[in-house]
Amino acid sequence: MLEALAWRNIWRQPIRSALSIISMALTSMLLVFLLSLQFGSYETMKSGSLRLFDGFGQFQPEGYADDPDISRRVENADAIIAALQDLPEITAITARATGFVILANGDRSFGAAVVGIDPTNEGGVSALASIIIEGRYLQANDDGTIVIGDGLARNLHLSVGDTVVMLGSGSDGSVAADVLTLVGLFHSGVNELDRQIAQMPLGRFQETFALNGDVNTIALSGAHLSDIVKINTELREIARENNVVYRNWEELQPALKQMITLDMGTSGMMYVTLVTVVVFIILNTLYMSVLERTREFGGLLAVGMRPGQIGKMVWMELIFLSLLGAGIGIFLGSAITLYLKSTGIAFPGMEEIFAQWGIPAKIYPIYTPFTVLAGPSAIVGSICLLGFIPYRHILGLEPVTAMAST
Amino acid sequence: MNTHTRRSFIFLATATIITPNIALAQDATSIIRAAYDNWRATSSHAVIEVLISRSSGNRTMTMESWTLGEEKALVRITGPARDAGNATLQVGNRTWVFNPRLSQVIQLPASAMSQSWMGSDFSYNDMNKTEQTVNDYTHTLLETRRSGGHSIYVIESVPKRGRPIVWGKLIITVRDDFVLLGQDFYDQRGQLVRSMTTDRVGVLGGRPYPTVLTMSSANSNEFTRMTTRSAEFNIEVPTYLFTRSNLQNPRN
Repeated sequence: MLEALAWRNIWRQPIRSALSIISMALTSMLLVFLLSLQFGSYETMKSGSLRLFDGFGQFQPEGYADDPDISRRVENADAIIAALQDLPEITAITARATGFVILANGDRSFGAAVVGIDPTNEGGVSALASIIIEGRYLQANDDGTIVIGDGLARNLHLSVGDTVVMLGSGSDGSVAADVLTLVGLFHSGVNELDRQIAQMPLGRFQETFALNGDVNTIALSGAHLSDIVKINTELREIARENNVVYRNWEELQPALKQMITLDMGTSGMMYVTLVTVVVFIILNTLYMSVLERTREFGGLLAVGMRPGQIGKMVWMELIFLSLLGAGIGIFLGSAITLYLKSTGIAFPGMEEIFAQWGIPAKIYPIYTPFTVLAGPSAIVGSICLLGFIPYRHILGLEPVTAMAST
Repeated sequence: MNTHTRRSFIFLATATIITPNIALAQDATSIIRAAYDNWRATSSHAVIEVLISRSSGNRTMTMESWTLGEEKALVRITGPARDAGNATLQVGNRTWVFNPRLSQVIQLPASAMSQSWMGSDFSYNDMNKTEQTVNDYTHTLLETRRSGGHSIYVIESVPKRGRPIVWGKLIITVRDDFVLLGQDFYDQRGQLVRSMTTDRVGVLGGRPYPTVLTMSSANSNEFTRMTTRSAEFNIEVPTYLFTRSNLQNPRN
């Protein structure tokens, strides 16, 4: 009964109601789209930069993060890898060894981090294999080969087919020296990678650096970053059992994590401002209309309706309006988001900046219950709460004075 | 205290604090210079044993070194067999290394100079930065104390502005016969990073000399000890020793 009255009342002032609904619908639509885009770009950034090299998580010896010395090794790599293979979320596992060396070509020499990798498994974790711009990536039966970033190659005046001299120190402190053939160059757009990273076959690396078959880190990957985040506890447990440390994406890329947190903070303030402004504008309109209807409420009181019932009816009107507005907004926002999710959004001219973070030129919004519902429910929620104000006003009405008011 | 006495008190205080310091700064620099001169002499030839202690085990190497003036130094590893033949040549601020397995000479990039030398706690920079230590720092004598019949100078060395130095400050201890007793390396935040100490002062080539030197890092038990077995100073050292061709094909 009250619901029917409330619904009818909304359409007694069709233009005013429509305007309120439209403003809520547009705000909701904007919030749905912006949140989807924002979280979509975070996902793209995270997986883009993690897939490039680090992987979604890494097992490392204790203290390796602060001092990545080659003598800090993962001793039972096989046991860890076996345990990881039991987790269906993990799609790729690769063992690596890293040494800091001097790469030289004639009189030119530069410091670099050379990573010994297993070409068969590495491709599942790192995208370096897919960004080879000249020559080829390492292959399963490679021996004395190396791939380096194009920046490093430029600095060293090297091209594919040349020999590179590598000098570093092995895990026992002895001199690790080798002569390798450059088979490929990669270009990631991330300067630190392109100028400082080299990869060579793990077997040869272990021999040269006296590693005795050991590795320094184990990196892993999954279909989605969220899959790996979900099994964080299991991964930490595996690390604990094997006396190593598990580092998740936030620990591998703290700068990225901080950037996202900062961005969320500033955009969060923007959303709060937007919702507050809209909610108070709507509330103002509705409260005005309640005041305007004092005479009508006096009549209702006179014919025997209790103030509580009238108050509830008006509160319901508010709820219906906001639900209608938010519903239309969700529908429109979803339509835009889903369309752009299939096509992606290009940002012309931003490619270089994006590349620094390992982000592709196109960003795809993500469509999750959170991104869709967070904005609209904030609006509906605040209006429902603040509907208490007109409700309280109505509770204080007296039939005679109310009917006498103009 | 009336104004007059207070003023003269302040004057006296500033006079005693400031004036001697100017003189001492000069002193401190010459003490450091003398210590390094004593350590290196105008030329030297030494046989040195290196012990590198790591949590995973110890490693020893023997090496032979030659220096000429302040600019030239050559170090050749003589044992064990797997390291023998590796050599480092420094001329001025340029450093080359020779590796027998590669049979190649590599010039080290500036960025590699702070890297560990032969897996020890010494860096390439430590091998030949004596002039830098003397000239690129402002030296202040902190205290002079007596120990074992000697005066011992404790000197604080702070990098001069704009010099490419990673340390925040050094604390250098020198005995009054200019034997270097120790050197503490602090980072920019004032944390002790590593220390070099003289464990034994012997007489080598007719001069008091720090025969056993230990470099240890402040936050681990790892250290590198250099024991000078024999040394000659101010001898005739041919300049051809310090050339790239000699580095690759030794004539010494």
